[in-house]
Amino acid sequence: MSGNETKLVTDIFVEGARKGWNIAIHSTVPNVLMAFVIIYILNTSGLLKFIGEYIGFIMAPLGLPGESIAVFLAAFLSWGGAAGVLVALVQEGTLNAQHIAILLPGMALVGSTVQYMGRVLGVLGIPGKHYPALFGICLINAYLAMLLMRFIV
Amino acid sequence: MKEEVNPKMLIAGTISLLCAIIFFGGFAKDWWGGIFDFGKLTGQFPEWLKTAGGSSAKGGFLFAVTLIPSVMLALGFVAIFEHYGALAAASKWLSPILKPLMGIPGVCSISLIASTQSTDAGSSTTKFLYNERKITHKELLIFSAFQFSAGALLTNFLSSFAPLLQVSDQSGAVAPVSIAMCLGIIFIFKIFGANLMRLYVKKFVKDDEETV
Repeated sequence: MSGNETKLVTDIFVEGARKGWNIAIHSTVPNVLMAFVIIYILNTSGLLKFIGEYIGFIMAPLGLPGESIAVFLAAFLSWGGAAGVLVALVQEGTLNAQHIAILLPGMALVGSTVQYMGRVLGVLGIPGKHYPALFGICLINAYLAMLLMRFIV
Repeated sequence: MKEEVNPKMLIAGTISLLCAIIFFGGFAKDWWGGIFDFGKLTGQFPEWLKTAGGSSAKGGFLFAVTLIPSVMLALGFVAIFEHYGALAAASKWLSPILKPLMGIPGVCSISLIASTQSTDAGSSTTKFLYNERKITHKELLIFSAFQFSAGALLTNFLSSFAPLLQVSDQSGAVAPVSIAMCLGIIFIFKIFGANLMRLYVKKFVKDDEETV
């Protein structure tokens, strides 16, 4: 941000767009591809329906179908993967536009926490005994945010 | 990031920040044909390009490719807003309210803003503050809760989730929320989570924990 006042605004845009390209190619594409394959397997094997029926009740107070729990679980692993699972379910007609709006903040608030255990908590040197509390807070955040969204949209 | 922000930069940065909120908030959708609106500028694919309806790896690949333009557009604009000091201004405005808001000192504001773009930038700068004894162990715990939930919010949301707001469902509807609204709600809950941690720290963490 400093010492580059001579840069053209177009150059700055292109630099940012290039960063976007790199993220998209290295993260979005492989993650979404993986998510689509997983959903295909879960769906074809009938496992998704099973998960939706047995633990999906957690999502009911949020006005979401049981299958949406797959999106939420994927979010713990990665943002991109969760996005892929969400879209796969939207294309199948399991989720609608309203569900997308409710789910997004919740997915974000637990987003990639499995990775961030190392990259945030590990780097900061947080003692392991506090990890359950930190994960719990993410869960509470996510659930309340989705509940709020349910009443907004 | 620089620690000092002069008044001229602060004004420019604040204007830039407001522009960013308008741009990503969908507030300017109907002005001048939407040239100041992210959704409108993202544009449309030609009719013949069918991106929905595929399945498994091929379906996922094709769909992911269609997300790329909006990711590039979003990060291109973020780079511009950042160049004009939007994030530095946000950090300046946040600094005096961090203590009442979350119980962490104002020096954390730069780290906090950095953490919305990159978890690694956030955690490494925070570790530095801790090593320099600018924040205590308890403040570190509270701050870690903020960074851990929805880490790298800005980058992750714009690259993974923002394109989803333009995906239409089977009835042709799109999600009835804007990018700025989602970001705002997530940010509020990040602060809420930090406060839950504040309560937890107050109740369960002993004053001498770091030395044990």
